[in-house]
Order: sequence, then structure tokens, then C-alpha cells
Amino acid sequence: MESYQYLLDYLENAPTIIKVVWITICVFFIAVVILTIYLKYLRNRLRKNEKTVAEYQKEYESDLITYLYAGNEEEEISAEQQLIIDKLRSCASDEFKRRIIVSTLLRLRNEISGEMADAIQKLYFQSGLISFALKRLKSKKWYVVAKGIRELTQLRVKEADDKILMFVNHPKKEIRKEVQLYLVTLFHFEGLQFLDVLQTQLSEWDQIQLLEVLQRFDEQEIPDINPWLKSANDSVVVFALKLAKIYNQFEVKDALIDLLAHPQKKIRVDAIHVLSHLQVFEAKTVLKNNFDILSKEEQIEFFKLLENLCETGDEPFLLTQTTHQNFEIKLSALKILKTLSNEKFKDLKDFSTDADYVKIYEFLAYN
Amino acid sequence: MSDAKKIVLAEDNSTLSLLLKFRLEKEGYKLLIAADGKEAIEMIEQHDPELILTDIMMPFISGLEVISHVRNKLNKQTPIIVFSAAGQEEMVLKAFNLGANDFMGKPFSPNELVIRVKRLLR
Amino acid sequence: MNTSTTEIILFIIHSLFFIYATFAITSYVILAIISAIETKEYMKKNSFVNYKEILSSTISPSISIIAPAYNESLNIIDNVRSLLSSHYVNYDVIIVNDGSKDDSLEKLIKAYDLVKVNFLINQQIPTKPIRAGVFKSTNPAFEKLTVVDKENGGKADALNMGLNISNNQYVACIDVDCLLLENALQKMVKPFLEVTEEKVIATGGVIRIANSCIIKNGKLLDVNLPKKLIEKAQILEYLRAFLLGRMAWSRLNGLLVISGAFGLFDKKIAIEVGGYDTNTVGEDMEIIVRMRRHMEEIKEKYKVAYIPDPLCWTEAPDNYKIFISQRNRWTRGTIETLRKHRKIAFNKKYKSLGMLSYPYWLFFERLAPVIEVIGIVYFAILMALNEVRWDYAIAFIVLAYFFTVLFSIVAIFSEELTYHQYKKKGTGIKLLVITALEPFVLHPFILYAAIRGNIDYYFNKKKKWGEMTRKGMAKA
Repeated sequence: MESYQYLLDYLENAPTIIKVVWITICVFFIAVVILTIYLKYLRNRLRKNEKTVAEYQKEYESDLITYLYAGNEEEEISAEQQLIIDKLRSCASDEFKRRIIVSTLLRLRNEISGEMADAIQKLYFQSGLISFALKRLKSKKWYVVAKGIRELTQLRVKEADDKILMFVNHPKKEIRKEVQLYLVTLFHFEGLQFLDVLQTQLSEWDQIQLLEVLQRFDEQEIPDINPWLKSANDSVVVFALKLAKIYNQFEVKDALIDLLAHPQKKIRVDAIHVLSHLQVFEAKTVLKNNFDILSKEEQIEFFKLLENLCETGDEPFLLTQTTHQNFEIKLSALKILKTLSNEKFKDLKDFSTDADYVKIYEFLAYN
Repeated sequence: MSDAKKIVLAEDNSTLSLLLKFRLEKEGYKLLIAADGKEAIEMIEQHDPELILTDIMMPFISGLEVISHVRNKLNKQTPIIVFSAAGQEEMVLKAFNLGANDFMGKPFSPNELVIRVKRLLR
Repeated sequence: MNTSTTEIILFIIHSLFFIYATFAITSYVILAIISAIETKEYMKKNSFVNYKEILSSTISPSISIIAPAYNESLNIIDNVRSLLSSHYVNYDVIIVNDGSKDDSLEKLIKAYDLVKVNFLINQQIPTKPIRAGVFKSTNPAFEKLTVVDKENGGKADALNMGLNISNNQYVACIDVDCLLLENALQKMVKPFLEVTEEKVIATGGVIRIANSCIIKNGKLLDVNLPKKLIEKAQILEYLRAFLLGRMAWSRLNGLLVISGAFGLFDKKIAIEVGGYDTNTVGEDMEIIVRMRRHMEEIKEKYKVAYIPDPLCWTEAPDNYKIFISQRNRWTRGTIETLRKHRKIAFNKKYKSLGMLSYPYWLFFERLAPVIEVIGIVYFAILMALNEVRWDYAIAFIVLAYFFTVLFSIVAIFSEELTYHQYKKKGTGIKLLVITALEPFVLHPFILYAAIRGNIDYYFNKKKKWGEMTRKGMAKA
């Protein structure tokens, strides 16, 4: 007790700074104690949560399976199915449970097709889950909206399209991406119409995801991509170039050749790549004539095209390029010369004394 | 029931496993469910099933390794059907090279799976 | 010297210490706040990304994993197997055997059915020459694997060889003994593909400590908290560094270092700047600073991205000897990098790189141990002269201690609210105990190693060369 009193006296008479420091220490100490208790609580909750989620998931999983096998030919919804619908409907009002139900439905919906997939969608409508997703679209928080759209996409809810279309040019890129995926997943190539009105850039990640979705469909009937190749939105042009390649759009070759003069280098390079894939010989002439004014990237891409489309007439040009300063072009030129005529290639042994040339020549000669 | 044909199903999506289990048990098969490749291999070694269904991409040990284990380590010719997602064509080819008998691309219809299972177990 | 001058000098010294400490504490608090904001946003953004959708895509960009190996014979087969089991589709693995004296190469050849192939290398970065050759597997199951056997040149040299050999757009430079989770590559490549306005030049990953975790066949099966104090203390240290420090710096686009154990680079830019510097022991930090500097100089908008997900697990030193030599090397790496690029310090031309990142590293990473030691020495002198104002001293030491503990606890919360990797019951309390002990069981050794690093850097240049050619494999 005495030492306690002594401490108090000491603090009372100490300089202000010391007082401040000790008060801060006390605050820190209290914070440490509170956080320690809270950490214990938090970890317990997380652990319990994990268990509860697993339990509910198991329960809803078996409900879902029962529902799917409880149907019969006579009624649209059997009595047993109605029971499950009612149960899920009442659970859905609880957000925690609803999340688990939806994720259970989605986990199965993404893996199966046919009647069962339709039945899952029906359950989604009947149990009223859909209304919660639609409500999310009205939220002010961007990630709530994005998640809502995603759910509607995965459960193939076509009815929400006009609401979702409103977000096409939303400032948040995560929302735009979900909108695009929605449109393409549900309306396939027709969904790509959003490209006509898109004001923002499509990232490479967006493009890959869209193409992935499109490739899941069997239909190969694709709309006219000419307008997109001429779009003022550069990312739309890049995307259209990918479509041209994947779906072998030989019909757009004129638009592709026009793109060789596009102000963006990336687009010019991609255009050469697609022209090479489609084996458009006209492109070769255009590019060969302008070769010296092309950027390095275009020159390299052009040589990839030549590897595809070379003819004996290209030999003099190729010969001049075997001394090009770029390694890849040198390699490509020599490689093509060898394919064109192994005999003539043999005569090129001492054509140049450049170290790279010699290395490449030897590599090709023994391969 | 003891003469029911045994099928090992390796699939990390438990809901799908459960659905297929119900469906195939209705057809009179006995289903053993593994959540990953490791469990699948243990079950195959222990129960020697008549058919194996396996997803290609699973945690810990992939479907490809399960196939390879059955064909090369256990030297068994048990029919194997693999499940693959879109874009895994390369993996499907590998699966066939390793000795898979059939494949189903996800999403698939459970009814179609039943038809293929019946064909392989005839 | 009369009393008043002494007093003035002492006053200046005290003020400098005080200002430094205030700045350091303020910067920690600010970084913690920024990191909280960034973490929240990151979690929101990623809560609904379906990585399964891109991992299978054949249109996704190509990546090469480059893993240098030096005398790794013991685990090399398993390590390679783990690297080959990524779920990404469009990737290959380049193992650079950097002049190992053991039987690594023979083991690899046998385990993966390798044969020597004729391989044309575009030598864009000069490296030590090829030794036994370039090897590929005859077994189609291992078609993604390339093994290069070269003469010893150190880690940076081996990575440069990998850069020369790779035909892919991106390169993941990693330590061969790292365990990568199956979805690591798609998560790391995402920042490169998401941007539309600027360019991402590199993505850094998190290093997690694998000591005591259960790993089988190259897969992480179970996460455990290790037993030894030094290991547990490092876990805490890594949580602080990765979840608080780097997360905040990534928000400010000010990351100066990507762990050498796991980073993904735009290969074209990495080659453009000349690859890794073989003259430093801190090549992982140096290349980032150089790439950033290059981007500033060509005036292109760029970003160094960061992915906080636990994707890469590696063994941390479990004894003080190895720990000290590791930190000694890190210290020298930092000094070398900062000295080499001192031109950017306080240079407005380099914007936040010169005005914020560099000064922070200089004062709070490079100089912190030096200033701390000066402080200790000063305190000792005062003690010897019996001049210590114990009331002040004790109050401030206790304050500093509680601040450290509190900061560590914030890092633990950050982990629990995001990744929650240490799920086992009782681990929470163990981590808290470590926050209280860490200032005594780890910090003194870090300080000692840093001082040794400074001494070695200035007075023992020979050490560096021996180390770089013989060992060269740095962790994290």
C-alpha cells in the first residue's frame, strides 16, 4: 500500500512528459488486455463458424439432393419438394443461412447441366432466393451489387437483363466485369452487343474470362465483328482480334489489313498475328514493302507470319534479313531459308561472320 | 447387396458427389466417395472397385496421378471415367494417354453419366 | 568545453533521437492504417473472383518458373515435383543447376527421364557458360520441365540464365525449395492482366514459414505453429512485414523489394534493364529498384503489385547461426542496393520513389540498427557516468516495449481476420506470448546480424565473393 502511495506521489510530481508517457503506457496496456480477450473470442468464433457452416452445408446439400430426386411425372412440384421449398424459404430470411444455401446451389449448378440444372434454377425461384439477389442490385455498396450480378449469372436468371444492363458503364470495374460476364453467359454471342456502347477499357483479364465463357458454347455462328475491329475503343479492337483468331473469321481480312496502320502498336502487332493465323497472303506483301519502317515488335511478329506463309520469292528479302541486328529475326530468317531449300541453306554457311549468325547457323544445321 | 458393383468416386465438390451417389445407387451400384486424390487411392487399394470416376483437378493429388497410380503402380485395368472442366482439353488428352477410358466435360448431365457407367460395366 | 556547450550538444543529441523515434512510430502507425484500408479493399475485391475460371484457360499468358539450385540434391526431386504440380495451364519450369558439386543433376536425369537437347540460347544477359547442357524429359508427363546445367555463378547469374532461356511472357523467380500452392500462378499473374491504364512490372508474393507444417508429395497438408522460439518469432516478424508493411507500401505503390523467394516479373522489362545484378547479395531488392528507376526514366506509368495471399511456403532458419548469417546478407544487400541507386534519393525526378520509398528505406531499414546501437552506446556511457535520468529512461523503454507488442498484436489480428492460417486451438495464445517475448528473443539477434552486416560490408569485402559463388541461395 505504501509503495502504491509512493508511486502516485511520484507521478503527481513528475514532469508533464513523464506523465503523458505513463498514461500512454496505461492505454497501451489496456489495449493489449482488451485485444487479448478479443483475440480469444475471435478465434473461437471463427472456429465455431467454420463448424456451423459445414453443418448447415451438409444439411442443405442433402435437402437439395432430396429435392432433385423427389420430383415425379404427374405434378409440377411434388409434396416432398414443396416441403423443402418452404423450409429453404424460411431459412433464406437469415443472411448467414441464405449465403450457405446459395453457395450450395451454385456449387452444384456450375457442375451439371440438363434437367437437374433446370430444377435447381426452379428451386432458386420458388424459394424466393432470387428476390434477395435482385435486391442486392439496388445496394449502394459496389461489391454487394457485383456479388448480386454474379449470383444471377451463375443461376442463369435471364429476367434481370434490363436491370443489369444499366450498369454497363459503371465506374467500378468489378461491376462492369460482372455485367459483361452476365451478358455473355446468358446470351452468348448476342450478349457481346455491349461492346458497341462500352466506353471503358476491357482489361486483358476481362477478355480472357469472356472468351472462356464463349468457348463453353458449341455454337460457332458468330456475329459480324467488323464494327468492333473499327471501334474507337482500343480494347474492343484487341478483343475483336482475339475473336477473329479463335473463330477463324477470314471474312474480316480487309478490316484486319486496315488495322496494320492503326496508331496503337499493340493493335498492329496483334493484327499481324491474326493475319498470320488466317494465312492472308496479301498482308505479307503490305508488310514486306513497309518492313523497314515497322517497329521491332511488328518486325518480329511479321517474321512469325513469314514462317507460316513463306514462298520461294521471299528468298532475297530473307537473305538481307539474316544480318538483322535482332536475334529472333535472324533466327527466323535462317530457319525459313532452311525450310525453303536445304540445298541453298548449306551454301549460307560462311555468309556472315557475326557471332550470333554462326551460332544460329550451327544450331539449325544440326537440327 | 454384396454383389453390387463397387464404384469409387473422387470429387472435391461434396454436393456433386452426393448427387451422383444417390443417382448411381438408385441404379444398384455401391458408391465410395473420396474428397481428394489421396483418399481415392486409399479406397481403390482397399476396396478394388469395378469402376473409378475421378475429377481431374483435385487438391493434394490430381486425377491424373490417380489414373497413373491405378495403371502403373497397381497394374489394374479398372475402367476409369474422368471429369474435366472447360479448357482442360490438354489434361484430358494426358488422362487418355495415361489410360483413362472415357471423359465427361463439366457441366454434365447426371443421366448421361449413368449411361456411360452402364456401358463400361456391362 | 564549458557546461553550457555540453548541455547544448546533449540537447541536440536528445532531440535528434526523439525526432527519429517520433518519425519511426508515426510511420508505423500510418503504415498500419493504410494496410488496414488496403486489406479491406483487397478482401472485398477478391471475395468473388473465381480463380478456377482462369486457371484452365489456354488463352492465359505464358509463365516460366525459374528456380536456381545449388547443391540441393537432398530434396530436389520432391521440390521439382511440387513446382510441376501447379494448376495453371500455360507455364513451364526451368531449373537452373548452378554448378552444383553434388549429384543433383544425375538425380534429376534419373527421376524425370531427362535427355540432353540441342538448345539455342539468345544470350541477352551475359552469364556463366553452360556446363553439361540443357535437358528435357522424354516422358510427356514432365514436358513442362527444362533443366539447365551451368557453371557456378551465384543466384543472380542462375536467374539470368533462366531469363535467357525462357520463351514466355512472364517469369516467376523462386527458390527451388519453396512450396507453391496450386493456384499461386494465376493469383500472381492477375495484377498484370487487370490493368488498363498503367503497366505492372512485377508482382510480389508473401512468404510463409513452413517449419513444422506437414508437407507430403509437394503439397501442404497441414499448417502448424513450430515449437522453437526463434521459429515462432520469425512467423510473427513475417506477419508484420507482409501483412502490415508491404500491404501498405503496395497501396502507396512504393514497394522496393519483392522477396527473392517468390516474385513474378514482366520478362521483357527484366531483360531490358539487364536482368539481375551479379555483384550484389541483395539481387532481389536491387532488380526492383532498377526496374522502377528505368520506368521512371522512360516516363511510363507503372506499378509493382503485391498479393498478400499465403501462396509460397518455405523453411526459415531454425538456429541462430544460420539466422544471423541470413540477416547479415540481407543487410548487406540493402546497403549495396541503396548505395548503387543513391542517385534517386530525394530526387524529385523520381517522384514517390525518390521522395518517399527510398528515404524510408534509408532511414528506417538501412539506418535503424545503426541508430539503435548508437543509442545503446550513448545510454551505456551515460550509465557509466551515472548521468542516467532513470525516470525518463524507464518510462520510455516501457513505452517502446508496449508499442512493439501492440503493433505485433495488430499484425496477428490482420492475419486472423484475413487468412486465419493457424487454426488450431491454443495457437492464438501462443502467438500472443511470442509478441511479448519477441523483443528479447529475436530482436537482439536481428540487431547483431545487422551490425555484423555493416561491418562486413565496409571492412570485409572478401566475404561477399566467397559467399556468392559458393552458396548464393538466399531465403525469402
